[in-house]
Amino acid sequence: MGKAKVKIEKDLLDKVKKYAEMSGYSSPEEFITHCLEKEITKLEESDSEEEIKKKLKGLGYIS
Amino acid sequence: MSKINRRDFLKLGITTGSILALGNSKDLVTKVFGQTDTPKKIIILGLDGLDPNLLKLWMDAGKLPAFSRLRSEGSFSHLRTSIPPQSPVAWSNFITGTNPGGHGIFDFIHRDPENYMAIFSASKTSETTKTLSIGNVVLPISGGKVENLRKGKAFWQILEDYDIPATVFKIPSNYPPSPTKQRTISGMGTPDIRGTYGIFNYYTTEPAKINEDIGGGKIHEVYVIGNMVESKLPGPINSFKKDRPDSSIDFRVYIDPVNPIAKIVIQDHEFILKEGEWSSWKKLNFKMIPTQSASGICMFYLKQIRPEFKLYVSPVNINPGDAILPISTPKSYSEELEKIFGHFYTQGLPADTSALDNGVLDDGEFLKQDDIVLKERLQMFEYELARFDSGLLFYYLSSSDQRQHMFWRLIDKEHPNFDPLLASKYGNTIENIYIESDKILDKAIQKADKNTIIMVLSDHGFSPFRRSFNLNTWLKEYAYHSLINEWRQGESSLFLNTDWSKTKAYALGLNGLYINQKGREAQGIVSDGAEKEMLVREIARKLENFKDPKTGDKPVLRAFISKDVYKGPYVKDAPDIILGFNYGYRISWVSPLGRMPKNIMEDNTEKWSGDHCMAPEVIPGILLMNRKIKSDFPALYDLAPTILKIFGIKKPPEMIGNPVI
Repeated sequence: MGKAKVKIEKDLLDKVKKYAEMSGYSSPEEFITHCLEKEITKLEESDSEEEIKKKLKGLGYIS
Repeated sequence: MSKINRRDFLKLGITTGSILALGNSKDLVTKVFGQTDTPKKIIILGLDGLDPNLLKLWMDAGKLPAFSRLRSEGSFSHLRTSIPPQSPVAWSNFITGTNPGGHGIFDFIHRDPENYMAIFSASKTSETTKTLSIGNVVLPISGGKVENLRKGKAFWQILEDYDIPATVFKIPSNYPPSPTKQRTISGMGTPDIRGTYGIFNYYTTEPAKINEDIGGGKIHEVYVIGNMVESKLPGPINSFKKDRPDSSIDFRVYIDPVNPIAKIVIQDHEFILKEGEWSSWKKLNFKMIPTQSASGICMFYLKQIRPEFKLYVSPVNINPGDAILPISTPKSYSEELEKIFGHFYTQGLPADTSALDNGVLDDGEFLKQDDIVLKERLQMFEYELARFDSGLLFYYLSSSDQRQHMFWRLIDKEHPNFDPLLASKYGNTIENIYIESDKILDKAIQKADKNTIIMVLSDHGFSPFRRSFNLNTWLKEYAYHSLINEWRQGESSLFLNTDWSKTKAYALGLNGLYINQKGREAQGIVSDGAEKEMLVREIARKLENFKDPKTGDKPVLRAFISKDVYKGPYVKDAPDIILGFNYGYRISWVSPLGRMPKNIMEDNTEKWSGDHCMAPEVIPGILLMNRKIKSDFPALYDLAPTILKIFGIKKPPEMIGNPVI
């Protein structure tokens, strides 16, 4: 799998390092990857899932 | 400003709708199509969810005199429901005289095998692709459309072929209404003005008390400044604008500084509500562009003024007097009812179960709202019954289903949400709706002469819903479903974390399980033929053998293999396995859209506590007739052939049922 570099502010990187260690991630890279995946998942889920959820929630069978 | 007519609205594809070849009757009272003065007449009462055990219990206790009379003078039988016993499936069996293989409705939710995405099963909206953009305004050039996805001919369409008149009131699985010149108005499946099954709006100064991800409603945080609240009521998406914003209407609430009353001002309406009071229907026009607006109706409920402000607004319903979407045939039928009775609920299932489940309405408030629904519909029943003199009249009651869903917890001491205090106050809610049903039946009996056949049916019975089953979690635990990242289990729905290259099966909908079939699913790995056949039978056997670790009971009573139980041209679209849950069990709240929590089994702690998505033998429906029922165990799909036989019409070959009398 190819890899690419991304620039972020040093202050943010320091926080990433601190919280990655506190949360038990093996590296800052793993923490960043997890955060980005979670956010992308939210966006990918957005339209059609929300559409069908809206329709069905009025019926009451799903949450 | 001109209102958007139905044609314009459909062109824009704002919500849903279909262009039907409707009559253009200008008469106040619509004429029934058929002119034949039939020697036999049929009155059918479709009482959703009436359970044979409860019915017998209260008949034997002398609480249901009309039902008892029909039982003693005619017949009472259990009625075989559909597989699965979901209302859209069951009523489609009734309407077409087929099973899902013949009408193509298998569940509330279907799936697209090309992308594993959930699809709404009842209707399909296609928006117009041809538009003209002028600045920020988008004008449609060609029409969008909405399709009723139920296949097969409805029995009233066949009656039409024989010039026999029919009035069909609020039957489910008929949105948009099947093209006909008969008098019909759509029921379950009819959206609100935003195209959903009902999104209420709730305005409060303490939004944190309500779950932000509330289903079926939108929570608005408001502030009381100088005894006044200002906010907006959302309307349909404005497809006239390029960025497709929600349309909305500003409103203000003026609060009396001393007394628990407030004045609400919205468009040209000014009305005063006391705390705990419902408004009448208010007609509103949502502006789209300066020259166009869309008409809808809603009710306001002032729940509380102090210390916190709480205002509930019902979903904005399609205005029956000026319907922007197709809700009746002919179009003038809903207008006729509106002229006589005023505005009324057009949304398919109006009782706001979501608002009750989420604490926006309490038990008493929910019942008050459903009483409004019931009252409106009873008035229309009496109207139709009074003028019924030939052919067929079908009348539908939704409150029986909705109240059993929400109040089963108060008659079931084993339910995780049983509350003895609430049970002492509302424990007779279900019994009361059976008594109301009895009063409706009594009116039909009073009307019937010797040539009138009365048929009373329910689409299914009811069971408690105490424990829920996470089917996708089960599939993963039994190594039929693989994840890309194990640690992300439970985070997403719709299989975004699924490794399809190692997944043999997945579940979508309330009862359906699909094999990841090569050549059918986009990333299928299981070959059709012997490999699939063996896999299906293996999964079905394991599902039926699985035991709930808490109770020792088997959650899945029957795992039906669709090709064994369905017949007709649409079997190919069915789930491969249909789960029939045991008494007390149902699919979980999150599994229908593919979510996969950690545990297979969970308690159901919701107010939605009764259900019917079980195995058909667990929850049969009812059938009563003022004639001798000759079939030992009649089925829903037998009733359309029965109706045709009464009118001397031979059933068409696609109907799989047989007359029961």
